[in-house]
Amino acid sequence: MGDGNNTTTTNNRGSNSTSNNSEKPEWLQQYNLIGKIGEGTYGLVFLARTKSPANRGKSIAIKKFKLSKDGDGVSPTAIREIMLLREISHENVVKLVNVHINHADMSLYLAFDFAEYDLYEIIRHHRDKVNSAINQYTVKSLLWQLLNGLNYLHSNWIIHRDLKPSNILVMGDGEEQGVVKIADFGLARIYQGPLKPLCDNGVVVTIWYRAPELLLGGKHYTSAVDMWAVGCIFAELLTLKPLFQGQEAKSTPNPFQFDQLDKIFKILGHPTLEKWPTLANLPHWQSDSQHIQTRKYENIGLHSVVHLSQKSAAYDLLSKMLEYDPRKRITAAQALDHEYFRMDPLPGRNALVPSQPGEKVVNYPTRPVDTNTNFEGTTSLQSSQPVSSGNQVSGNMAGAHLAPNRSAPRQMAPINMQRMQPPGMMNYNFPSQSAAASGLNPGSMAMQQRGMAAQAHQQQQLRRKDPGMGMPGYPPPQKSRRL
Amino acid sequence: MADFQTSTHRAKWIFTPAALVEKYKAANRRAIRTLEQYGTTQMEVDLDGSISYPEPQISAKENADRYSRPKPLNTEEEQFMRVYYENKLREVCCAFYFPHKIQATALIYFKRFYLQWSVMEHQPKHIMLTCVYAACKIEENHVSAEELGKGISQDHQMILNYEMIVLQSLEFDLIVYAPYRSVEGFVNDMEEFLHANDDQLQIFKDLHETAKMEVDKIMLTDAPLLFTPGQLALAALRRSNEVHAVLDFQRYLGSIISRQNSAFTTAELFESLDAIDSLVMSYKFPSERDMKHINRKLKSCWGHDDGKKREKKSRHKSQKSSNEIQNGPSMAE
Repeated sequence: MGDGNNTTTTNNRGSNSTSNNSEKPEWLQQYNLIGKIGEGTYGLVFLARTKSPANRGKSIAIKKFKLSKDGDGVSPTAIREIMLLREISHENVVKLVNVHINHADMSLYLAFDFAEYDLYEIIRHHRDKVNSAINQYTVKSLLWQLLNGLNYLHSNWIIHRDLKPSNILVMGDGEEQGVVKIADFGLARIYQGPLKPLCDNGVVVTIWYRAPELLLGGKHYTSAVDMWAVGCIFAELLTLKPLFQGQEAKSTPNPFQFDQLDKIFKILGHPTLEKWPTLANLPHWQSDSQHIQTRKYENIGLHSVVHLSQKSAAYDLLSKMLEYDPRKRITAAQALDHEYFRMDPLPGRNALVPSQPGEKVVNYPTRPVDTNTNFEGTTSLQSSQPVSSGNQVSGNMAGAHLAPNRSAPRQMAPINMQRMQPPGMMNYNFPSQSAAASGLNPGSMAMQQRGMAAQAHQQQQLRRKDPGMGMPGYPPPQKSRRL
Repeated sequence: MADFQTSTHRAKWIFTPAALVEKYKAANRRAIRTLEQYGTTQMEVDLDGSISYPEPQISAKENADRYSRPKPLNTEEEQFMRVYYENKLREVCCAFYFPHKIQATALIYFKRFYLQWSVMEHQPKHIMLTCVYAACKIEENHVSAEELGKGISQDHQMILNYEMIVLQSLEFDLIVYAPYRSVEGFVNDMEEFLHANDDQLQIFKDLHETAKMEVDKIMLTDAPLLFTPGQLALAALRRSNEVHAVLDFQRYLGSIISRQNSAFTTAELFESLDAIDSLVMSYKFPSERDMKHINRKLKSCWGHDDGKKREKKSRHKSQKSSNEIQNGPSMAE
């Protein structure tokens, strides 16, 4: 922390309302802005390169959060993302490199290491351009790393709650090539003892990856909801198509998503109380919304949809992820132990290299960058680049917020991509590994001996020895500790 | 919850007694220096949440000669001021029926904030409210600034103005570990340790309740900046156990230590618990006279020429701070 004086002064001078805009805030001067790479309801995402000699040219993704629109201070989404990322550190989770404050408009800028790819783009590329499946080694490596990061999060009592292909990043060229990074923690929650049921804040995420217990009105998120999403993503990696592509009902703030359930039931069959006893307590099931209890479904069979033999290890793992009863659903730790990952091809750190010599490398498209934009409201831009006004940018954002199926302007896109984005938020997030950040790396700092630090959080230990899991350090996902 | 062992709380916000004293002294010295230079100590916070150092007051010197020179607070007086507002903070949280967790989080924020700043620099009343506001946001019990302000008849804009400064001063380390949960965990463990049967449940309940009250006392001292939540919880439980005589505490501590292969001895642990106890025993709440005296001094430090200061604010905004920025709020450097 150093001297209080240093850590507490503001960093942005020269951008108050009266100052001229030609002077860049200091923090911004450490970057060269390349352009915009994404936008969402929270704000914009930029690509920049560091200027500092040590890391010159290193690509950084900068996510800008607007001030919360209801005039209630700093965006809670931003705060949540920052506070969680400050506490965690794992190879398969994005790492926050820096946080900057722009006082001119009270916005926050989060700097991450840039990841060139994400599963959304990789899948889309295979589906639309390559016209062939993703090779087995890559699928397995991506899945393993995703589970590895998720296991870390879950054992730290964090549920992501918004896993989907566009939030699973993959590093491009460099030391970490082909490494998976779980991104976008704006909806993530710590699930040990929050004060209110977690459903309270009107969650707006894509419904395709939403677990059935939530679709049926379940109020409590457990880490099992993330595993359902992983199952959906696994299937999508195999078939290149979203597994349950429901139409979202948008009428009311929290409508019953019948179509999504319908899509699930068509493939997995109708759930039964026998297999899923707590089903009876779920609100929408209980109230028999749209006659959900009595509809008839033929079970097409998951295996036929994903073209896997029912005897294969891949199918076994997938079906355990898509288990209806969240209490029976496989956990991340159990999944990592699954036979599938012990069979050839074994998963690897670089998911994007060919598994066999001679196999051709797929060249995924790099992220489109819209250079025709600026860090809104903070600066005059890189002199070499044409720039639109800050106002215009914010205008776009407002539009983005309203339009349910918007796609970001992508002038630089190699192909004209339309990212079909179900309402929700966030396309992009950015990982970082470098983290030159001593402050970001709590473990690395010497801590004074205060007697028995080791047993400090005794209750952690106590919680973890909860029966039923046999997995040290892994929280029992189905225990409701939430209230 | 994220693991305490790898938390920012443990890594950055638990100090040795000497380091803590030094931090308080440093903030105090800086404010005094500012007072000498500028004739006032209070930082200004703009609508946009940025802060500026006070105006250099050319007339400060003569003023000082003609009237009474502004007298800075010493570190004891600063401590009184913090103590006073920590109690206020608790009152506010009680008035809103906020859960313990929010109160504890807000208290820890408040304590951490004044490791970075002197009470002469930022009005503790404002900071206290902003800490409560931030704690509500973080603990998912969102209360709008307006609602909070209304509830205690304070201008909520002030809360919003200070929010960024507070977050920044906390270095965005917003997940904090209060001892209440640890107490709960230890009580459960004690039940197991004693193979408690159902008849004994009430006694454990009593033990738990008294311990929570002990934690309440501990939370108002400096102990949360000096010890881990687990240690604070054990100190509270030890005192509670003195009342309820549920178990042989020393033997219990011995058992935890051996179970966890701890590098520490029971004696060392006892030493920490004793230190926590003595912080609680020596806790002093300022008298009305103390507060009057301190407030008078503070007023002189803050000056009363609000109008004059505001006028020049935007221009002045800070050469002084800009050179401090490098290691500023960016958390990672």
